[in-house]
Amino acid sequence: METTDLNLFVRTSEETILDWDRSKISDALVRETLIDSDTANEVSREVEKMIRKSGIKVVTAPLIRELVNAKLIEKGLESSRRMHTRLGMPIYDVDNLILHPNKENANVPHGPEATNLTLAERIKKEYALLSVFSQDVSDAHMNGDIHLHDLGFIDRPYCSGQSLEYIKKFGLNLPHSLSMANPAKHPEVLLAHLIKFSAALQSNFAGAIGWDAINIFFAPYLEGMSDDEVKQLAQMLIFEFSQQAVARGGQAIFSDINIYWEIPKHFVDTPAIGPGGKFTGKTYGEYEKEAQRFAWKLFEIYKEGDGSGRPFFFPKPIVHITEKFFHTPGHMDFLYHISDVASDKGNTYFVFDRGETAKISECCRLSFKLEESDLLDAKEPWRMRYCALQNVSLNLPRIAYLAHGDDAKLFNLISERFELAVKAHKEKRSFLEKLLSLGEDGPLSLLTMNRDGMPYLRFNLASHLIGMVGLNEMVQIHTGEELHDSRKALKFGLRIIAHMNLLTDKIKRKEGIKVVLEQTPAESTSYRFARLDLRYFSPASGSVVKGDIASGEVYYTNSTHLNVKNHINPIERVTNEGIFHPLIEAGSISHVWLGEAQPSKEAIADFVIKTFKHTTNDQIAFSPEFTTCNKCNRTSRGLSDTCTYCGSGDVDGITRITGYFTKVSSWNKGKLGELKDRYRNNEFFFEKQEKAVNE
Amino acid sequence: MGTVKIFYKDGCPMCPMAKRLKDNLQENNVDVHYYNVETADGLAEATFYRVLALPTILVEDEMENGLGEWRGTVPKVEEVLHVVQGL
Repeated sequence: METTDLNLFVRTSEETILDWDRSKISDALVRETLIDSDTANEVSREVEKMIRKSGIKVVTAPLIRELVNAKLIEKGLESSRRMHTRLGMPIYDVDNLILHPNKENANVPHGPEATNLTLAERIKKEYALLSVFSQDVSDAHMNGDIHLHDLGFIDRPYCSGQSLEYIKKFGLNLPHSLSMANPAKHPEVLLAHLIKFSAALQSNFAGAIGWDAINIFFAPYLEGMSDDEVKQLAQMLIFEFSQQAVARGGQAIFSDINIYWEIPKHFVDTPAIGPGGKFTGKTYGEYEKEAQRFAWKLFEIYKEGDGSGRPFFFPKPIVHITEKFFHTPGHMDFLYHISDVASDKGNTYFVFDRGETAKISECCRLSFKLEESDLLDAKEPWRMRYCALQNVSLNLPRIAYLAHGDDAKLFNLISERFELAVKAHKEKRSFLEKLLSLGEDGPLSLLTMNRDGMPYLRFNLASHLIGMVGLNEMVQIHTGEELHDSRKALKFGLRIIAHMNLLTDKIKRKEGIKVVLEQTPAESTSYRFARLDLRYFSPASGSVVKGDIASGEVYYTNSTHLNVKNHINPIERVTNEGIFHPLIEAGSISHVWLGEAQPSKEAIADFVIKTFKHTTNDQIAFSPEFTTCNKCNRTSRGLSDTCTYCGSGDVDGITRITGYFTKVSSWNKGKLGELKDRYRNNEFFFEKQEKAVNE
Repeated sequence: MGTVKIFYKDGCPMCPMAKRLKDNLQENNVDVHYYNVETADGLAEATFYRVLALPTILVEDEMENGLGEWRGTVPKVEEVLHVVQGL
């Protein structure tokens, strides 16, 4: 039979209807797979026969492709079938996606732009699992042994941290942009450049965009401005970042701004860049007062909240508490100021950089000690650009189910999973290298732009993150005790993380890439792992996963955290969780869930100082809860079903999900389960408050 | 009587002295735990006790309460025995 004999029309993916042409099948098979033309012709003939027999008059290109795939399977040509896969989604799923919000990431709102983002993510996720990663890595992700984060953003690195100096020195000169801006002469323009550049970076990275020492690098532009003008600028900065919900996928930029009260030692003698990108003739050490003024005003704005009195979700203000902080005049006033914000709105992140060694914050709260070469970079801070390429988390409870109480098996399995995560990193790394090699004509042109003798993305310095989910449950399964139950259990948990820490050193030596441990935020991963383990490891998992199995609100405890439900006083929690932090380079944090309690600024400041001086905890944040009314636009303390002001039921709960604030209605089921379990530290802070009043 | 924990690693300049201290203490029938911080067990224990300098020597009672410590230095065997024996 000739192909033209068949009276059949094909609806193609190019929005056209064509006459049937069997050769298109064989052409596609030869082009996309490794099979020879004879086999391709044979397959196409068999598919044509099948279609002819069915009597169908119009077929779609996806249907033909699936019929071809079925033939390839029949013939045992599995690898060719993989190569011939069509990526896409069923109508039912697209329908759901367009109608209902995405709950995998609570920072994605619901709307047409967000739907576009999710659709694109789905395709790229499938592409990544089929084309970027090897089958064992993909399978390990699919079955929940490991989790490859942000697969939908496979064609970009994970997160980035940089300095405002880059924009101050080079202006806003992005590849392929319609207009090029010279270095800003005015603070408002610098602010506009900062926001636009952040949006551009958001389009080139999957996650957080961090800015180092933002108040210090703004300082030379603030000379001569009144306090009111500085406050106005601070207000613009926070609102501009928090209202970027018009950017990629309608998603606010996940932005961090790092703030110092003192000028860190490594920037004291650094020549300052001022308006027009010119050196001012002074060093940053001489701008301490201006930097402090800006830091103070930023927190005044955080304290006021948005137009409805709600906390700003972004940018997250990260205040570095260092040894020098305590020797800088005015530090106690500033500490009370930011503690007041922490208690009232919860925004402040207190990061502890102990010791005299200079440290720098990358993205993902990844800090590292400055080596000699980094200290040279600190003299020219526009060079200080860091990134993490990818994040892979290990399902620790899964390993414990498989080890059946055998220590040797447990540690061997951790090593195996770790090696798999490293393999995933190498595969993503080589994929990104391919994209970056296309230079300014490639998809990552922004990251290859070269303004200072090196590409914007300093690939050679990139980190590769390995996270862990559910250490608490792993220890529980293996020893019968949770981390908080005994010193023995806590020490066993430490052995696991110490083992992982030593593996990172080994990999650095063996592979020459920087692998670091991270406390993964695991917003949806802890839910995903728990669900999969309930499916594959019941009944054992039934008594281990946290949350409520009946409602499906299940989760594993994040990273190395202690059980959120346990009634431990916050000092003990912060101390015991902090014991793990020296072994984990990135993202370590302890949460103090405040609930409705509103401790005094003195109580928070006292807590912060004690944490700095008496623990090894790297970072703490205090999380209050709010109810905001969509009817009267007012915000009250605590989570409730109705507005305490007008009684309306049209309200949203707001609190911290993992590392950021957002509306509770957007949370996934696992996080909702965790929210119900969280032990609020009301009693502790009420007792402290009463004690202070009595004293 | 207290027990002693000694933290060391290969290649640290003062760690051979710490090893001699361990041998001397054991000759005096003291219960000594010797931790290489380049192993998971050693690193975990060192992290728990916030060991930042090597070698570090800690003395604890049977309830794991601290009785004495030397961080980054190696004491004389008599000093340690004094603490271990609660003199």
